[in-house]
Amino acid sequence: MIVRNFGLRHGRQVLSVPPSAPSCLRLLSTETITRTTTAPAAGNEEAMEQLAALSATHAAREARIARSQQRLEIAAIPKNYKKFVKYQKETENLGSEIERRYLPDEIIRNPPHDASLEDLLAAQCHMGHHVSRWNPANARYIYGQRSDIHIISLEQTAAHLRRAARVVEEVAYHGGLILFVGNRKGQMPIVTRMAELAGACHLFQKWTPGCITNKDVLLQGGQLKIVNEKDEELTGFEEHLRDCRPVTPDLVVCLNPLENYAMLRECAVATVPTVGVIDTDADPSWVTYQIPANDDSLRSVALIAGVLGRAGERGQQRRLEDAKQGVVNWETPRDVRGHIDRVNLKLKLEAAERWEKKQAELGPGEKELKPADLMTEDEVLAEMFGPGAVPSRR
Amino acid sequence: MARGPNRLLASRVHRTATETLASTVYPNTYNPSPPWVTALANIPPSEIWTRPYPAQHALTPNRLPKSRKTPPKNLYRPTKIVFPEDKLRRAFYADHPWELARPKLLMEIDGMDARYRDWSKGLRQPGMKLSGESVVQRQLYLMQTAQMSRSQAYDVARKEFYKLRRFEETEARIAREEARAYGAYFGKTVNQVGMELEDKEYNAWLKWAGEEIEGQEMERQAAYANDVDLPVAEEGVAPDA
Repeated sequence: MIVRNFGLRHGRQVLSVPPSAPSCLRLLSTETITRTTTAPAAGNEEAMEQLAALSATHAAREARIARSQQRLEIAAIPKNYKKFVKYQKETENLGSEIERRYLPDEIIRNPPHDASLEDLLAAQCHMGHHVSRWNPANARYIYGQRSDIHIISLEQTAAHLRRAARVVEEVAYHGGLILFVGNRKGQMPIVTRMAELAGACHLFQKWTPGCITNKDVLLQGGQLKIVNEKDEELTGFEEHLRDCRPVTPDLVVCLNPLENYAMLRECAVATVPTVGVIDTDADPSWVTYQIPANDDSLRSVALIAGVLGRAGERGQQRRLEDAKQGVVNWETPRDVRGHIDRVNLKLKLEAAERWEKKQAELGPGEKELKPADLMTEDEVLAEMFGPGAVPSRR
Repeated sequence: MARGPNRLLASRVHRTATETLASTVYPNTYNPSPPWVTALANIPPSEIWTRPYPAQHALTPNRLPKSRKTPPKNLYRPTKIVFPEDKLRRAFYADHPWELARPKLLMEIDGMDARYRDWSKGLRQPGMKLSGESVVQRQLYLMQTAQMSRSQAYDVARKEFYKLRRFEETEARIAREEARAYGAYFGKTVNQVGMELEDKEYNAWLKWAGEEIEGQEMERQAAYANDVDLPVAEEGVAPDA
């Protein structure tokens, strides 16, 4: 054992005890101590007995010393512990206090509502690509070139980011389905957090080509639910959900357009608006709403995504608050509406049938029943205000 | 989407959607507009592909082309961002390359740290470590306010820098010695640790190489010894004897 590590191994407890030779010896050596005695001559029994007695007394003495040593050590433990606690108390207020520490994922956990130019600069949103890789369509977003890379104008970034945030907020407010896509390495936590904030869907793996243009085949049997304006799930649509078509997003936010050409193309063909982070080597015409910024830095992407996620969160909050007041800014989709109409018609016909049957059963002198007498309350309301008026049957 | 008839497909989604919704092919059909159409009615996308005359960053205005017949080149290409310090910084670090090996302080006070500096007072500035940047800023200050030439200002700033570096080094050495005198223990230096690791690798290799040589030697001896044939020959000989 190395002497230097002695204190480390046996702790301050041992160090505080006054060292005594036998105990230290025991602790310091890794080999067992053997005492050599001269071998007695064969046949000398007397000498042998003497020697045995001697060694027995010697062993007994050693054991006694060890026991007393152990007792001393055990007795010192509370005293040493008190000393240790005292030192700890005395020194706990020493040193500096860290008020704000840097947490790398703070920007993901608690993203800002708006990004200032300083925030964008600190997140390195201004770094473009090597000048040789630029797409001249992005000339508008470029401030200049330095160290052979293009520097994106952060004023442009901030303006476009605000516009995109407004887009996300408004679509969320109008009850649209938003999809956040970021399938580069390391973008998973960013995309999931953003979707969590905005109450949206997320994709951090490969986009299966055809999920919009060939959705009836690829997304067949996907789970759907029908909700009311307060986001409460409605029952009675099982038959419709079994037969209806898969849904298409109302807005797609893409953090890396360069790898998602197929998806953006599908969105454009199916008239789905898109928002994309456009670096100096990307094509701005691939997306509807561009955000010129560095898409290779996770910090930059996290900041931009965080602002968009917050915007979505605001939109959802506004929508739910308005719904409480009875203001609904979206219309029931066509297929759901058709289903409701069909159900209402069926109920009406059944009621009419019941009424006719009852009428036939009645005698000629009795009072005539009106169809409304055999309808439920909902059916009467539907009759009065047209189909789709009753919220619980939407 | 960049070329061909569909190149504006993404930019025109709103127009396409509204035109489709307004179509009168099936007049009496209930056709609600998707939520995004109403949401984005007042938020048009920004224009794309415009090529503005870029911001000019050159310290001296661009020279005009020599003759009027030559059209100006790269008129719409983004220009280089240049600062007067760039040349001075390059010269300093070319002369003192090991200054780049020193740790650099990246922390800022509030992002507007230039307000706290007063380069008339020398190289030591609050909240800033003495570094090549101090020399560059001091040199620029001397050039701009004391009307010194570039080399004159460089000499002045550089000598101030050497003096302060000497002072720092002496201070650090004395502090080290003092600490040692009071029993401080600094452990191994980086170089020592590195040398030890290297020695360990060499020794391991030496052991491995010895074993390899031994094995090869044994193989070689086994090949010459012809031990395999011996018992066969003896067997062949035994019945005759």
